[in-house]
Amino acid sequence: MHTMPNSIQSSESNPDIILDVRKLRTSFRIAGEWHAAVRDISFTLRRNETLALVGESGCGKSVTALSVLDLVPSQNGRIEAEQIQFNGRNLLGLSEDEMREIRGNRISMIFQEPMTALNPVLSVGHQVAEALLYHRDMNKEEANRAALELLDQVKIPSASSRFKEYPHQFSGGMRQRVMIAMALACRPDIILADEPTTALDVTIQSQILALLGELKRDTGMSLIFITHNLGVVASIADRVAVMYAGNIVEIADVDSLFAHPTHPYTEALMRSIPRSDRDTETLHSIPGQVPPISRMPDGCRFAARCDLARPICRKLDPALQQINAGSTHEVACWVRGDHDLTAIEDRANG
Amino acid sequence: MADTLLRIENIKKFFHVKRGFPVAKTMTVRAVDGVSFEVKRGRSFGLVGESGCGKSTLGRALLRLVEPDSGSVTFDGQDVLSTNASDMRALRQRMQIIFQDPYSSLNPRKRIGAALVEPLLVHGLADKRQAHERVLKLLDEVGLPPDAANRFPHEFSGGQRQRIGIARALTVGPELIVADEPVSALDVSIQAQILLLLRELQESHNLSFVFISHDLGVVRFFCQDMAVMYLGRIVETGPIPRIFEEPLHPYTHILRDASPVPDPRQSRKFLHIEGEVPSAVNPPSGCHFHPRCPYAADICKKVSPDWHQVDAERGVACHLFDTGNTGPDYPKR
Repeated sequence: MHTMPNSIQSSESNPDIILDVRKLRTSFRIAGEWHAAVRDISFTLRRNETLALVGESGCGKSVTALSVLDLVPSQNGRIEAEQIQFNGRNLLGLSEDEMREIRGNRISMIFQEPMTALNPVLSVGHQVAEALLYHRDMNKEEANRAALELLDQVKIPSASSRFKEYPHQFSGGMRQRVMIAMALACRPDIILADEPTTALDVTIQSQILALLGELKRDTGMSLIFITHNLGVVASIADRVAVMYAGNIVEIADVDSLFAHPTHPYTEALMRSIPRSDRDTETLHSIPGQVPPISRMPDGCRFAARCDLARPICRKLDPALQQINAGSTHEVACWVRGDHDLTAIEDRANG
Repeated sequence: MADTLLRIENIKKFFHVKRGFPVAKTMTVRAVDGVSFEVKRGRSFGLVGESGCGKSTLGRALLRLVEPDSGSVTFDGQDVLSTNASDMRALRQRMQIIFQDPYSSLNPRKRIGAALVEPLLVHGLADKRQAHERVLKLLDEVGLPPDAANRFPHEFSGGQRQRIGIARALTVGPELIVADEPVSALDVSIQAQILLLLRELQESHNLSFVFISHDLGVVRFFCQDMAVMYLGRIVETGPIPRIFEEPLHPYTHILRDASPVPDPRQSRKFLHIEGEVPSAVNPPSGCHFHPRCPYAADICKKVSPDWHQVDAERGVACHLFDTGNTGPDYPKR
């Protein structure tokens, strides 16, 4: 029904692609029934690229990151996919031991609230050194020395005197720097950053974003940056995937996305942000709310809140498709996508 | 020019906390340290600043939800701080508050209808039957269905709960609402719904707002005037958008430029910002902002800057502005 765009077709042949996720579906059991929180999403991440996953609460952006690292609780959660190809190797079906070799080593993660992610009874220096002791053939002294360098690298002032201090002695911004140092410790290929600046004040947020940008440039790593803030996306992303109710509804280069938001949801989101750099006459609010996971409608999940919705939108689920031939800008929308709508509607009607 | 509804003069609120181990020392947190501003009738006044700057304490202090140590609050000509308990109750009908997280301010075991009827009965504004009708009308005004009255707080989403919080504040027919980060916990699409609702209600009820927020975009949209706070003090006040277009205080300038805007062409440059917000327990000497200020001179380290009223609408507390010694680098758009 739709053609696979070039960016998705070619992973084995393209050494530039570090992560290639195809048809990822992560479901959770709620009251005895399985519901998909992430529904058949596909995306690729290039080397030294920052891909932002953006969307509102519950859209599945965090679950996507957790699924890549197989960190979804196995009792009530289930990950299915065609592949999660990392560096030419499929992560699906790896044993827990094999995954442990990847986590924190080749792919690491930064969380929103560093205080809950750091161990309150261990010194920060110890926690940064821990990953090195585990994954690298280093003795304690070497690991400590490397950890100190890392704390310097993330610009913690007077790192050597603060090495033995505990998380509670650090401010929110400094704790996030410690988290970044931990994530960086093994020189990973990818860092998954889940709302890393959401809990921070804007001046501190600006410092952390600048730091992540610098580290990405200097180390050549790739970044998946999860956020709900389109302003942050604009300042850090190379490419952006907009998620809604478990689907990627639009994916594009950052400039293209902001210049031509094509999915009605993306467009509405952009128009609902009051801006600090210019007067906003009226805000465009999106009526209604995201449907609950247990009562997702058929067809496009945004249709009920969409001004442009047509009968087909409530019946059939649109797939991601290039907005025009050869473009890397893709959208999942019957109305705004490059479709022959009449033909599709005729076919759907019988 | 609209008349002044609320005048705050030199409000101070210090907290005394015990810190340290094994021998705890009493320290003073100067949460609000001599703050003055005015709110005009029918307008919204934004209080902006980063966490710990004292903006929420100030919002509570002016309603006497925490008792200020000194200063004065004048509401519609009435001295709020010297008002006795029974007159204060009457005054509270006219001054209300909306919180960031309405869920924690709602009784989880009380149906929404009962929660909204209560203030009407407490203030003797209606008998039971009238109160019920008023509540249904309020629910409709804030965009909730009538059957919401029979449901419990946990049955609502974040945006709906904020609508309930707004309805609760409106029950007693206030003229002034202190809104403390009312949309910060909400997703952007819901945030826009609530902001539009507040604006609509402001018009239909002729409300004035003290609007506390850390989000400059939200304040620019909703307010006509604003003050920027840093460590318990106001560093700059002025009308919107003038204060955005030409910030006079270096901190206002930095705050503006650090606020992310959804435009990749503008957002690529990160400005260099020194350090973090120092603790209000032990604030820096002189101008509190001097350790982070790229333009700080010697005097800034020693002497706290006086308030400089620039014109009828604008004021700033900055030595560099006083002396005119702002140099070529001084923030200008």
